[in-house]
Amino acid sequence: MSDEEHHFDNKADAGASKTYPQQAGTIRKNAYIVIKQRPCKVVEVSTSKTGKHGHAKCHFVGIDIFTGKKLEDIVPSSHNCDVPEVTRTDYQLIDISEDGFVSLLTENGDTKDDLRLPTDDQLNAQISSGFHDGKDLVVTVMSALGEEQICALKDIGPK
Amino acid sequence: MSCFFGGGLFTIMVASKALEGQGENQESAICTVAIRLMTQILNWEFRGKLAVLGKSRASTLSSSPASRKSSEQLQLWHDLLVSPAKVTWILNFYEHIHQKGNAWLDLPLSVVVRQLIVLMCSLNGSIFPTDGAGTQEQHLQRLLNCIISWIDPPEYVISAVLAGTSESEMLDGCRALLAIATLCSPSSFDQLLLSFRQTGTLSLLSSLTCGIIKASCVRESEEPSWTYEALEVLLETWTVILQPADLSQKVPLPPSGIEAASAVFQTFVEFEMKLSESSALDEDDADDMAAFSDEAREDRLSAVALIARTVPSVSLSLLTMLVSKCFSEIRQSLGSETTTRCLEQLHWLTILSGHVLADPGEGETPTVPESILAVSAEPATHPAVSLSFALIDVAQQSLDATFRTTLSPRMMEAIVWFFGRWVETYLMPDHAGRGPSSTPSGHEGQEVSVGVLFDGRNALNAAFGKDGGGPAVLEILVRVALTSLTAWRGEQVLQEYVSSRLLPALVRRRNVCVQLLSMGSWQELATVFARQDQMLLSLSDSVQRALSGCLCRSAQGLANADAANQYVKDLLMPMAASLAEFSGRKDLATFSQQPNVIHQVSCVLERLRGAARETIPRTQKAIFEVGVSIMKPLLVFMEIYKNQPSVVYLLLKYVVVWVDAEVVFLEPKDTTTVFNFCVQLLSVYSAHNIGKVSVSTSRSLQNEAQTEKYKDLRALLQLLTNLSSKDLFDFALHADENPDVAQVVYLGLNIITPLISADLLKYPKLCRQYFTLLMHMLEVYPEKVAKISPEGFSQILGTLEFGLRQQDVEVVNMTLSALGALGVFQYQALCKGDDGLGTQSRTSGGDDVLSHFLKLLMHFLLFEDYSNDLVEPAADALLPLILCNTALFEKLKQELVQRHQDVVSQERVSTAFHSLSKGIEITSTIDRSIRRKFRSNLFVFLNDLRGFLRTR
Repeated sequence: MSDEEHHFDNKADAGASKTYPQQAGTIRKNAYIVIKQRPCKVVEVSTSKTGKHGHAKCHFVGIDIFTGKKLEDIVPSSHNCDVPEVTRTDYQLIDISEDGFVSLLTENGDTKDDLRLPTDDQLNAQISSGFHDGKDLVVTVMSALGEEQICALKDIGPK
Repeated sequence: MSCFFGGGLFTIMVASKALEGQGENQESAICTVAIRLMTQILNWEFRGKLAVLGKSRASTLSSSPASRKSSEQLQLWHDLLVSPAKVTWILNFYEHIHQKGNAWLDLPLSVVVRQLIVLMCSLNGSIFPTDGAGTQEQHLQRLLNCIISWIDPPEYVISAVLAGTSESEMLDGCRALLAIATLCSPSSFDQLLLSFRQTGTLSLLSSLTCGIIKASCVRESEEPSWTYEALEVLLETWTVILQPADLSQKVPLPPSGIEAASAVFQTFVEFEMKLSESSALDEDDADDMAAFSDEAREDRLSAVALIARTVPSVSLSLLTMLVSKCFSEIRQSLGSETTTRCLEQLHWLTILSGHVLADPGEGETPTVPESILAVSAEPATHPAVSLSFALIDVAQQSLDATFRTTLSPRMMEAIVWFFGRWVETYLMPDHAGRGPSSTPSGHEGQEVSVGVLFDGRNALNAAFGKDGGGPAVLEILVRVALTSLTAWRGEQVLQEYVSSRLLPALVRRRNVCVQLLSMGSWQELATVFARQDQMLLSLSDSVQRALSGCLCRSAQGLANADAANQYVKDLLMPMAASLAEFSGRKDLATFSQQPNVIHQVSCVLERLRGAARETIPRTQKAIFEVGVSIMKPLLVFMEIYKNQPSVVYLLLKYVVVWVDAEVVFLEPKDTTTVFNFCVQLLSVYSAHNIGKVSVSTSRSLQNEAQTEKYKDLRALLQLLTNLSSKDLFDFALHADENPDVAQVVYLGLNIITPLISADLLKYPKLCRQYFTLLMHMLEVYPEKVAKISPEGFSQILGTLEFGLRQQDVEVVNMTLSALGALGVFQYQALCKGDDGLGTQSRTSGGDDVLSHFLKLLMHFLLFEDYSNDLVEPAADALLPLILCNTALFEKLKQELVQRHQDVVSQERVSTAFHSLSKGIEITSTIDRSIRRKFRSNLFVFLNDLRGFLRTR
C-alpha cells in the first residue's frame, strides 16, 4: 500500500496535479473546480449578491469526480478559484491480476501496473467479462490532483 | 330573456323580504341566485347570430343587417337592461344593503349585486339608441351616482378599510370605474361626475389613486394586499384613458385631468422613494435578480410612465431634481448606510426615468414620446435633456476609479439598462422622412402648431444629435461599457446587461456605427478584444459571444465591403492565429489539457461563434476566411479534446452557426471545402464516441454525461440540417456545378446514426430533429438512397422501423412520410422499368425491404394501438407500398381471410379489403385525388375490420 502512495506523490511532483487559478464568475456548469482540496465537477452554479448593493458571489455545487460525493462552496465572483487539471489517458488493457490490479500498455510501450480495477461494479464487470472474452479493450484513466482512476472503457473490436 | 325578466320580477318580490332578515335567510339565498342568473345572462356572448347587443368588452359592434325581429328584440332588451326604472331599482336595492353596514358587504347577495352593477357599467353597443350617446351617458351617470358612495370620499373610504371595513365594495368601485373609462373619452369620463358635483371624475380617480398609493405604504407587509389589487385596477383605468386601444381615438386630457395626473405621479414617486429607502438594506435579493423582467413591476412602471408623459414638464423636472439630489448625496458619501439608501433610490429613479423617457425598442424603432417632443424649450432647459444629462453625469462619474467604489453593481446595472433603452430613442436619431404628421394622432399634432413640435425636436437634436452633443455622449457610453466589462470583475449581471442591451443598442443603427468606428474608445475596445487580453477573457461565455457579435456588427458603419472585411479580419484573425499556433505545438498533448489553455480555447470559440452569428453580407467574406483558416486546428482540437466534452460542444456549436451563416453565400468551390470539413469533423467525432461506455461513480455525473452527448448530437444534426438547406438556395444553379449535398448529408447521417442510441432518442427534441432530417432527406432525395452503402441503408431502414414504434405522434407521422416517399420513389421506378432502390431493396434474407414495411404497417394498423390522427399519414405511406407489391398484399389478405373458420367472417374480411381498393385506378403516378380516395377508403376499412379482427 505504501508503494502506491509513494507513487502518487511522485506523480504530483511531476506536475500532473497542478491547479490553475480562474475567476469564479467564469466557472460554468460542467467545468472542474477544487472544493475542499478535492477535484469536483460543477453540477450547479448560482449567483447572488451580498445585500442589494453588494457584490456578486457564486455558489458552487460540485461532485467529487473520484468519490461521487457532493461538495459545496461559496466564493465572491471576482475572486479566483482553483481549477484542477483533469486529464484522461487511454491505455490498452493487457492483464488483470488476481489481486485486482490491472496492467496497462502505455503509448511508448511501457506497462503501467499501479492501478486497481474501478470500484464501480458495472464498469468492473464489463472490464472483467470483456477481458475474459478476449476482447480488445481500451480503458480511459482519469487523473487529477495526483489521483487516478479508470473511468471509461471502449471496445475496439475482438482480437 | 323572459327568464331575465321573470327573474327580475321574482327578485323584486323576494328582495324586500331578504332585506328584512338578518342576512342569512332563505329569501336572500333565492335573491342571490336570481341575481346571479341575471349576471350570467349579461355575460352571454351577444355578438352571435343576432348581433344585437354589444356587451362590455365585446363593445362596439357595427350595425349588422338588423331584421325587424331583431330590432324588436333590441327594444325589449333595452327596456329590460337600461330603462331608468329597472336600473334605479337595482341601485336602490344595493343602496339598502350598503346602509346595512360592514357586516353585509361580503354576503353573497351583496357580492352578486355589485357584480351585476359593474357589468351594467360595461354595457355598450347597439342596445343604446343612436342619439349621440346621450342615453348611454345618462345610464352611466345613474350608475356612477350609486357607485360613488363606494369610493367617495377616498380618504374616508380608505381609512375605513384600513380600520377593518371590508375592502370588497371599494374594489368593485374601482372595477366599475375601469369599465366606464373603457367606454368613454377622457373628457366625457370627466363630465360624468360634473353633472351632479363640483369636481370631475378624473379628480376623483386621481385622489382615489393617491389614497391607495399612500395606503399601500402603510400596509406594505401584507401580501397579497387589497391595495395592490386596487392600484392595479386604477392604473389600468389610467392606461385606458391615456392610451386607448385604438390610437386614432386618442384625445388630450381636459385641464383637470392634467392636474389629476400630475398629482398621481408625484404621490407615486414620493411613495416609491420612501419604499426604496426602507428596503435598501434588505438582505433577500432573490426576487431582485429578476427585477427588470418582473412583469408586474414592468406593467406598473409603464402605466406610471404613461401618466408621467401627460405632464412631461412636471414629471421630468421632478425626476431630474430627485436624481441630482440623490446623486449629490451619494457623492458626499455620508456613511455607508445612508449611501446605500440613496443608491437604492437613485436605482429606482433611473429605472423609472427609462420608462418615462423611452419605450422599449424590441423589434421596432422607438421614437421620442410625442408629449415630450411637444415641450418647447431651449436645448439647455428642455426637461428631457436635463434629465438625460443628470443621468449621463452619473454614468460619467462612474468612470472615475475612486468614485466607483461608492457605486454598486446594482446601480451600474440600472445605468446600463437605462442607456440601452435611451440610446435607441435619443442618440443621434435618424430623421429622414419622418415628419411629425406621420405620428398616429396626426390631427391632434396639427392643432399645436408644427413649429412647436419642431422646437422640442430641435432641443433634443442639439443635445444628442450627430452635430450636437451626440458624439460626446457616445464616447462616455462606450467608456462606461468598457469599464463595466473590465473594472467590475465578476459582476455577471452587469456584464450581461452591457453585452446584451447597451452594446447591441449602440451598433444597431448604421449612422451610430459610423461614429463609433471613428472613436478612440471603440478602437480601444476592439484592440483589447483582438489581442485576447486577460481582462476580457475573464468574461462569461454568453458575454463573450455578444461582445464579439457587437464588435463585428459595427463593421456596417464602414463605407465599403473591403474595409468592413478588413476590419472583421483584424478583429478575428489574431484569435484564429493563436488557435493555429496552439494546434501546431509539439507538446500539444500536455499543453492543451491545462485548464488555462482550455479556458482560452473555449473563449476564442465562443467569440468566433458570436461573430459568425452576426454575419452580415458585408462581412461574410471575412468570417468565411477566418473559418477556413481554422479548419485544420479545429480538427486537431476535436481529436485532442475528445475527453473534454465542453470544448467539443463549443467547437460543434461554432461550426453549426458558422455553416448556417455562410451556407447561403457559398460558391461551389467553397461549398466543397465546407462539406469536406464537416464530413471530417463528423468522422473524428464519431471515431471517439462510438462504442464508448463510460461509467461514473455518481448518478448525477452519469446523467450529465448523457446530457452532454445529447447536446452534441443535436448540434451535429443541426449541422446536417444546415447543410441540407444549401440546396434550397441553389435551385437556380446547375446541379453538376455544386457538390452533392444529399451525398454529404447521407454520409453524415451514416456517421452519426450509430451514435444515436435508443436511450438518446428518448429525448423528444433530439428524436424529432433526427426524424425531421430523415424525412426531409428521403422526401427530397430518395434516388440517393439507392446509392449509399448497404450498411448505411439498413441503418436508415432500422431507424424507420424504430420511428414507427415511437410514442410521439409527430415522430410516427414523420416516419410515415419518409416511408411513403421511399415507396413512391420505388413505385415510380418500377413503372418506368428502372432499378429503383435496386439491390438495396433486398435484405440479406432476400426479402424485399419495402414488403417488410408493408407487412409491418398492416400489422400496425390492424392490431396495434395508435392515434386516429395517424390514419391519414399511414394511408399515404401504405398506398405506394401496396402498389409496389400487390402480390404480397393479396397474400396478406388471404392470410387474414383464412384465419376465420366461418363463411360470414371470411365474407366480411374480403368485403372490407374490397372496399379498400374501391375506386383506386392504378396509374404510373399517384396523384392527389387517388391519395384522398385511398385515405377515406382506409378509414372505412379500419372501421369495418379493426374492432372485428381484434375481438376475434
